[in-house]
Amino acid sequence: MPLLPTECPSCSSKLAVRKLSCDECGTVVDGSYELPPLAVLSKADQEFIAQFVSASGSLKEMARLLKVSYPTVRNRLDDIITRIKQIQEGEEHGNG
Amino acid sequence: MDDLLVEELAPSRKPGLRKWLFDPFPYIAGGGSLALGLAAILLAGFVGSLANTHFDGVLDIHTGRAAPLGTFLAEGLIDWLSISIVLLILGRILSRTSFRSIDMLGTQAMARWPTLIAAIAALAPPYQRYVAQLTWKLLGVGEQVPLHSTDPVFFGVIAMVSILVIIWTVVLMYRAYTICCNVAGARAAVTFVIGLIVSEVVSKIAIIRLLMLQQG
Repeated sequence: MPLLPTECPSCSSKLAVRKLSCDECGTVVDGSYELPPLAVLSKADQEFIAQFVSASGSLKEMARLLKVSYPTVRNRLDDIITRIKQIQEGEEHGNG
Repeated sequence: MDDLLVEELAPSRKPGLRKWLFDPFPYIAGGGSLALGLAAILLAGFVGSLANTHFDGVLDIHTGRAAPLGTFLAEGLIDWLSISIVLLILGRILSRTSFRSIDMLGTQAMARWPTLIAAIAALAPPYQRYVAQLTWKLLGVGEQVPLHSTDPVFFGVIAMVSILVIIWTVVLMYRAYTICCNVAGARAAVTFVIGLIVSEVVSKIAIIRLLMLQQG
């Protein structure tokens, strides 16, 4: 599956969703929808969040599954939290 | 488990010897590192007691003075607790994240394992003879020991090993600090150096007080 582009290849601005379609009946919805913050994260970050939720939010369990130390997992989570905050702040400024 | 995620978290999925020697903390922390580190500290204290090698300060290795086994073990534990507690306090003040005390205590304990190498190296008879000679000459303690012609060379090599062990330990302590507190760059380096200096002073004071208590 191709990666979801989140930045404009020309000017690096954030991309918005313009078109959605139903594979079953062919209905097409046109508009301008903002990508949710989680969709803007890198693929690895999204996978981390999916694993984290699957592990019931246990960093200890994540560390065991990934065979890394607890601080390594926690630091990664910190990085993702920082990234999400930056995205949300960017959205607020964009809306303001 | 997704390969991409594992690769990003720990680029060397199967850490090699180099990684384990110089940067093990992405892979081990908490209780595991505490058990290994304490075992290494106590073993270094025991081996040190066989050749009167003292770890009498966070950054100190000295050979010469005879003492009971308990002193050697206590010195290692004082060094570890001094650096751990000082960095814990600094981390709590400066770090933007919450971290577990057991990770700091464990990784700082494990960071001291190279001292075991210094303790073993100091067992070498040529080094012991040269130290005994120096102690007799400079302090008038013990008795004159006949030296072999190569003893000064061995002494120099083992002294260099001790210096390298201290540098290696500092590198591991720094890496443990940065991963536990999630700090990096100049902020990490400056606070670590401050912590190292403070802990060196704290450990020296604690060890001197311990010796004074022992002497009554």
